[in-house]
Amino acid sequence: MLEFIISKYNFWIYIILMMIGFYAMIAKTNLVKKIIGMNIFQTAIILFFVSTAYKSDATLPILLNSQGHGAGHHAAEQVIEVSQYINPLPHVLMLTAIVVMVATLGVALAIVIRVYRDYGTLNEDEIIKAIK
Amino acid sequence: MILPFDIILQLFVIICAVAAITVKDLMSAVIILGAYSFFMCLMWAQMGAVDVAFTEASVSAGIGTILCIAAVMKTTRRTKD
Amino acid sequence: MKVLGFIVTVLTGALLIYGTLDMPNYGDPDSPASSHVSPRYITDTEIDTATPNIVTSVLADYRGYDTLGETTVIFTAGMSCILILRRRKKSYKV
Repeated sequence: MLEFIISKYNFWIYIILMMIGFYAMIAKTNLVKKIIGMNIFQTAIILFFVSTAYKSDATLPILLNSQGHGAGHHAAEQVIEVSQYINPLPHVLMLTAIVVMVATLGVALAIVIRVYRDYGTLNEDEIIKAIK
Repeated sequence: MILPFDIILQLFVIICAVAAITVKDLMSAVIILGAYSFFMCLMWAQMGAVDVAFTEASVSAGIGTILCIAAVMKTTRRTKD
Repeated sequence: MKVLGFIVTVLTGALLIYGTLDMPNYGDPDSPASSHVSPRYITDTEIDTATPNIVTSVLADYRGYDTLGETTVIFTAGMSCILILRRRKKSYKV
């Protein structure tokens, strides 16, 4: 039972983080608070994806004993164990996702600044009242 | 994976996330979000994803926090929740 | 709204925690995520690209078009920030 919990509790922590972000996106009425919740949500998803790449007893995805440029001629002699290195593919995809996350953050904050310029408040209920 | 280090980092991350959405001042919330990003960066470095950790520390904790601070300075710090 | 949001959040979290019971264990070397494409990247990256860092070789060599699309996303975000925050002249004011 304890072994089961230790092998799974990481995912539960990520789900708790995602729930915190989701609650902030739904229930908070301030627009900047909603954006902070969106940031926490995205970070939790990225954390989950990176955690699927982890292998126990493996090292970073950087080749040991690499000869650098021109290694292609001698590389046949060297045997590379797949289980020795962490899976690099989720890292690459999540690198892209982090940059896209900051791009969405920038656009969202620009919209918030524009809304404040037009309505003079960041509270969602007051903005809806001002529109009507 | 070092279990105590992992548990301490996850505890700090959850505390930072809860504090960032409950604090009553937007500037404090944004700074706590920067601290959250740095703890997340430590978690990734501890998981072996060093490139993701570099990108998070420079892009999300640096530029993201600066964008948030600029937005809060241009609008208002006060909030009701 | 707060109570409704809390209920929806807890329901979603319970569903996701139920979903994690079928996930492979944390740190499993034979999980499905690390048994299809990534062994080829790990073994062939030195022959194909002569780069020791596998992540950058996949990012810039094997999946270069992905990075090109990411650059398009950043460009679109910058342009939309400029268009949103631009102060219009008085005569165009709606």
